[in-house]
Amino acid sequence: MSETGGQRGQTIVIPAPSGPPRQERTDVWTPEARHKARLTFRPRRTIPGVIVAAVVAAAGIIGCIWAASAALSHPLWNVPHSDFAGPLQSTVHWDGTGTLLVASAVAFVGFLLILIAVIPGRTRAVPLATGEESVVIGVPRRSLRRSLRWLVQDVPGIDKAKVRARRGTVKVRGTTRLRDTADLQEKVRKTVEDRLAALDPLWPMQVKVKLRVKEKEG
Amino acid sequence: MTRHTARVSRTGLLIIGLILLLAAGAVLARALAASTSVLGSSTAPVLTHTQVQYPTQHSWVWPVVAAVSAVIAVLALWWMKAQTSTKTVRRLPLEPDHVHGTTVLRADAATGAITDELESHPNIRSADAALRGSRRSPGLRLDVTAENRGDPAAVRRSIETEAIPHLRQALELETIPTVMRLQFSRAFDRHLT
Repeated sequence: MSETGGQRGQTIVIPAPSGPPRQERTDVWTPEARHKARLTFRPRRTIPGVIVAAVVAAAGIIGCIWAASAALSHPLWNVPHSDFAGPLQSTVHWDGTGTLLVASAVAFVGFLLILIAVIPGRTRAVPLATGEESVVIGVPRRSLRRSLRWLVQDVPGIDKAKVRARRGTVKVRGTTRLRDTADLQEKVRKTVEDRLAALDPLWPMQVKVKLRVKEKEG
Repeated sequence: MTRHTARVSRTGLLIIGLILLLAAGAVLARALAASTSVLGSSTAPVLTHTQVQYPTQHSWVWPVVAAVSAVIAVLALWWMKAQTSTKTVRRLPLEPDHVHGTTVLRADAATGAITDELESHPNIRSADAALRGSRRSPGLRLDVTAENRGDPAAVRRSIETEAIPHLRQALELETIPTVMRLQFSRAFDRHLT
């Protein structure tokens, strides 16, 4: 296990073959920029939102049709509107098991929705530092993992690799047939670190490399 | 923009979650006899005979229920639309001077120019751009797929120092709030030799 690249000083190095030099990290890694990036890339909760909206809309439409038909004395359902709560009447009590179960289930769903709404959630993309306030750039986590995996697999000696990108750390697990892993490990770490430096994430990312030696078959 | 839809979704979920939790909490409080004096007896039936008979004796009940349900349905549909709308800008006013007529630019002309410029970069495989938000100060949404073997720093530099400023100039805007997603692809590009 080798760990470096976590300090600000070491990730400053950005290969800049042409064009103007990039700004110093302290200028770019501002709390405002991080906050903005987090807000931009955190989960939008559109899927649960649309599902709940659809359920509520369906309930509203069905309720409206039913009540309208009951108002016109031609209920669409064969539940007589005069007795719309027939099964609930007098047989179901406030302290009944059914009441408790239904109320608990509804309370749980409500609690879940509140959690979904309030919890910020993990950002969908790894935010990158930009020199400008108006520009927010992110690499989708999945794309970053794939990109790093391809790069690591291109390192001579690496058979297979797996990459995990968490907040602040990139973990690489690779298999090799080579005996001398120390050198290879350093190469892999260098590859990943160089790519991260070129990408320039808004948070320092630590690189951890673990290699497994696969015995030669036959 | 994405942050707008996120706020719409999260606020709506919070409101509905609170309604459900409070309603269920009140039922549970009564069921568990938390406060008999306020909520009533926990052994009473959920619906009494008089309550059930109420709609038949008062003709206003069903129309009111229908109206309230309709309002709820409309609100829910509006919420659904607000969550899914991307607010894409199609036309941009270029000359703010209304006295001498206005110049309108089609947004796809502007986004087409920036995607063409980006795609001509040897390390960029594909690019997609859209203007979103208000017509006076639109935001730019960029999706760029870069070649994995290329130098991402160079790709970023060309986007940040060339493509975006060019679009800004073309639209005569001081700044364009930009959200960009950068992805990588491994397939060998036709530009890459």
